[in-house]
Amino acid sequence: MALDEMFSNQSEELRACYNDLMKRCEVHLDKMHQKLPPPKDRWNEILNSHGVSRRDFLKWCSIMTAALALPPVFTPKVAKAAGMANRLPVVWLNLAECTGCTEALLRTAYPGIDDLILDTLSLEYHETLMAASGYQAEECLSEALEKFAGQFVCVIEGAIPMGLNGKYLTIGAKGKTGYEIAKEVASKAAMVICIGSCSSYGNIQAARPNPTKARGVAEALKISTVNIAGCPPNATNFVGTLLHYLLFGALPALDRLGRPLWAYGKRIHDFCERRPHYDAGEFVEEWGDEYAKRGFCLYKVGCKGPYTYANCSQVRFNQGVSWPVMAGHGCIGCTEPDFWDKMAPLEKPMADHAPLPLAGVEATADEIGLGLTMVTLAGIGAHALGSVFRGVGKEKGGEE
Amino acid sequence: MISSMKKRRQGRAKPLVARKQWSVAMCINHWAMAVCIVILIISGLYIGRPLTIGAGETWQKFSMAKVRFIHLIFGFILTALFIWRIYLAFFSRFHADWKDFFAWLDLKSVYHQVKFYMLITTQMPEHTGLYGTLQSAAYGFLLLMVFLVVITGLILYAALYRAGLGGAIYMFSRHLEGVFGGLAGARLIHHILTWGFVLFICVHTYLAFWYDIVSKRGTISSIISGRVFEHSDI
Repeated sequence: MALDEMFSNQSEELRACYNDLMKRCEVHLDKMHQKLPPPKDRWNEILNSHGVSRRDFLKWCSIMTAALALPPVFTPKVAKAAGMANRLPVVWLNLAECTGCTEALLRTAYPGIDDLILDTLSLEYHETLMAASGYQAEECLSEALEKFAGQFVCVIEGAIPMGLNGKYLTIGAKGKTGYEIAKEVASKAAMVICIGSCSSYGNIQAARPNPTKARGVAEALKISTVNIAGCPPNATNFVGTLLHYLLFGALPALDRLGRPLWAYGKRIHDFCERRPHYDAGEFVEEWGDEYAKRGFCLYKVGCKGPYTYANCSQVRFNQGVSWPVMAGHGCIGCTEPDFWDKMAPLEKPMADHAPLPLAGVEATADEIGLGLTMVTLAGIGAHALGSVFRGVGKEKGGEE
Repeated sequence: MISSMKKRRQGRAKPLVARKQWSVAMCINHWAMAVCIVILIISGLYIGRPLTIGAGETWQKFSMAKVRFIHLIFGFILTALFIWRIYLAFFSRFHADWKDFFAWLDLKSVYHQVKFYMLITTQMPEHTGLYGTLQSAAYGFLLLMVFLVVITGLILYAALYRAGLGGAIYMFSRHLEGVFGGLAGARLIHHILTWGFVLFICVHTYLAFWYDIVSKRGTISSIISGRVFEHSDI
């Protein structure tokens, strides 16, 4: 369907906007096609060898087009960009992290197309996956930095410890600190994508009391990054961001925390399948009770979905099989900065949050509030008695 | 004999006259805000710890949504009342009282006021403005609390309702979220402020009655009729 036809009943302005976007996309795709190094394997062959038909691939492309909030006419472009993804040089850094993001993105039961793209990315350096080690690995990195300077995408997994001059994290044969490595690589990258909450905001390494002074990459290096937050994040959100870059040569619209708006624009709560139970006043009271069996809302057992921007409830995990709330545990708010401190206790509602950031003070806002009210009422009683005793306001005979 | 009684009375005390202290707008604003705040505290605490209704089918029930609806409606009324109160503080034709909120800057009278409240002295301090020194600080703090509760409330509102008014608010509130530490932070501050209002109501109600008894000027009735009673020279 042609663009003009599709937007025949839309405003001129919108049509012009999408026309511009289409032109920009075409120009950029051509440019990327010429600029990027040739693929190691042809994309169609990869699809074939994994038993993915062209039809399935195009279906996936239309899903991604919709996810990126583009009109369907962009689907062929998305297909073209996806076919180019395995030519995009990527340097993947593993800093202070648990490799959970890599695991979550690469280890799948039967790979979907997002996973295939991740599997076949032109990874120039990835500590978990590469065969080389020691000095050899360092060589790979410096070679990639030289060969693809200003062209490669730097993906960072893990926070950067800043304490002890960064010495809490040293990597490789030369014993460089995580901070030094990240700074060097990021300075030569076309863009920096932070994958996971550690590299985005510090995550558990940066939770109180944060002994290593771990920071997110953007904060530590004082650069702007695209943050694919989540612990772990969704493969779709990462691939979508890569596609957006391939399509337009620009970053997608980001929110104030550097997260792509198309993926992190709405809250978990807004599209949760248990939401009708929330509105109906049907809540799970404790784990494994009758209400849990009936699939009630997890708000009272600490679901942080209402405070968390992410698309888990729409995209789900593991090929769309399930996601935490569907599996029966509330959202813990892992896409939000400092969620270990802000959302704790993770299995109690916000009313049970201990608002005083003091060691050992576990009293909740409600306990403190109720206690202060009791003290105030006692004080009022004492004051009233005292006033009577003291005779405040009693007219003194003959004086006035 | 009657005239001598009158004379004696006049000698003992000057006659009581009613003096207008609060404009009608101020009285309405006060009571509307009081009603709003009480409803918001109750519905707000319910939203924090809602009751589970197990019986019946999901589609037949809407209890949480209804309480939230009430909370939102009165939240917006409180927002309007707050704006009205600020307007009155600066542009009231009867008495724009914004200066009276700074009576606490006079530290000497704060000291005297504390002594009076602590029952150390029975000598009632005279107000130079509309409010006593501690009263001015408390009311200023109340308005600050209303401001914060309204802002955090609007942030939480606009995060969900993205069409129309919510969408207009979200253009601003999405940038404010970070100031309060995200939606979770805004929610926690919103919750803590609820208890601030509970404490304020306890102390405010008690001291209003106490002052009514101590000063004998009709403090309580003044916020309904707008008039206090004073001994006049006339």
